[in-house]
Amino acid sequence: MNQRPSTNKSAAEIASVLVVVQASFSLMAGLSAIPFAIVEPGLRVLAVVTILMAAAMLWLARNLRRGRRWAWRWLVGLEVVSLAMTAFLSLLPIGTIRGPVPLLVNLVIPTAVLVLLAADRSDARGAA
Amino acid sequence: MYDIATDHAGGLNAALITLAFGFVFVLGLGLLAGRRVAWAVRMMQVYDAAPAMTKVAATLMLLSGGIHLALVPGHEGITGLLFVIDGLGFVGFAIAAFLTTWWRRPAILWLAATIVAYIVWVVAGWETPDQIGIACKLIELVALGLLTRLANPTRHTWPRRAWRAMAFPLMACVTTLGIWVGGLAHPDALHAHAGALLQPVAAVATPDQQAAAARLLADTRASIARYQDPAAAILAGFKPGPASSAEPLRHFENKGNAAAVLDPNRPQALVYAQTTHGLQLIGAMYQMPRAGQWGPDPGGPLTQWHQHEGICFSPFGFEFSFETPFWTCPVGSTSITTPPMLHVWIIDNGKEGPFSADLDKTVQRQLTGSS
Repeated sequence: MNQRPSTNKSAAEIASVLVVVQASFSLMAGLSAIPFAIVEPGLRVLAVVTILMAAAMLWLARNLRRGRRWAWRWLVGLEVVSLAMTAFLSLLPIGTIRGPVPLLVNLVIPTAVLVLLAADRSDARGAA
Repeated sequence: MYDIATDHAGGLNAALITLAFGFVFVLGLGLLAGRRVAWAVRMMQVYDAAPAMTKVAATLMLLSGGIHLALVPGHEGITGLLFVIDGLGFVGFAIAAFLTTWWRRPAILWLAATIVAYIVWVVAGWETPDQIGIACKLIELVALGLLTRLANPTRHTWPRRAWRAMAFPLMACVTTLGIWVGGLAHPDALHAHAGALLQPVAAVATPDQQAAAARLLADTRASIARYQDPAAAILAGFKPGPASSAEPLRHFENKGNAAAVLDPNRPQALVYAQTTHGLQLIGAMYQMPRAGQWGPDPGGPLTQWHQHEGICFSPFGFEFSFETPFWTCPVGSTSITTPPMLHVWIIDNGKEGPFSADLDKTVQRQLTGSS
């Protein structure tokens, strides 16, 4: 039920691995904010939200591999928001994107996930 | 906090060349197969038969191999030798992925060993983490994740499935932590403290530079003396930054002075300390208009500018945390790099001196009455 038929799950599998990488990095960002949260009350909220988001991304990655449509939709939404924020922040003179690592993490990986999710949907359509 | 080391810059070119080579190779193979060249047809059949995950994993291992081999000239001794072995190993596994059935497990071990070795090298201080090294670990992590997904899950019992689900995120987290610990434990000479990059300067100040530094201090002290009362500063256009229990120093910024460059009459900010009897003026801060644009340093090494980078800034409450080595911040905050700044402390700043990036901790404790 609510399961997408797919002849080729490679695109979804690769996308899920990239989402797990993103979730792991988010988890570390959330955990790293905890020491600062001791004296900065706003960061307590941000740390908890980030850790919960990382957990949600791991859950979405798992369900994407299982072919759940809702996981696919949520991930498309998350990656689009992530890319839009990156595009917006890179326009500001605050040095958000400086070098290959932020380029890979904030631009290449979200774009790759979106492309793979699109390929996964076209596979599913082809199989239907 | 993490830049591209000069001797690692070749790694970036190697990655691009390897990618272009791989693309042209497959394209050429396809063209030859189209013309019915027997060996090309066979190779193309093998390539086409491989799952997409294998192709991506092989490409990533080839990339890592290319980067390692390109970095050999900049690494001497055992590290250089390991780079050769590692690079050749990755190239070998990238080829073996299409020709053998046994390549997956050895490749997983090779990737895991490479990542662990990097963490050991970084934590031990034998290698400084930079963006090329971190990007290479990112490539290897993704390859590792793909290879773990290539296994057949139906044969596994639940503990193995749970381990399979947890091992990869755990590896990614340990890698992040390892690079972070290494970077913080062994900062390079230009990092005064976590997040502050110092302007490169000569080691020793000349007599002229010493005189210029003393002049800058005297001019700044004379110019900002009129702002001892914070109300006078506010009247002159300086806006107080948000108060925070975590930060006893408060910066009053004047956007009207943004274009001025090291002008004692128009400093970009005034620095007050939150003492038990109110705000006390302790210095001025000069700031350049753009990130990466170092200011004039009349005092040479005595007036060394610094810029803050690798900081996660949260606009909700004006709070900060540190960015991870993979450039991620908590949700709702963003990575920022400030334009270079130079503090001039008009009070006795102890061992740190009048132009240091930070207020001397002992002086700060005396001022704020905190332990």
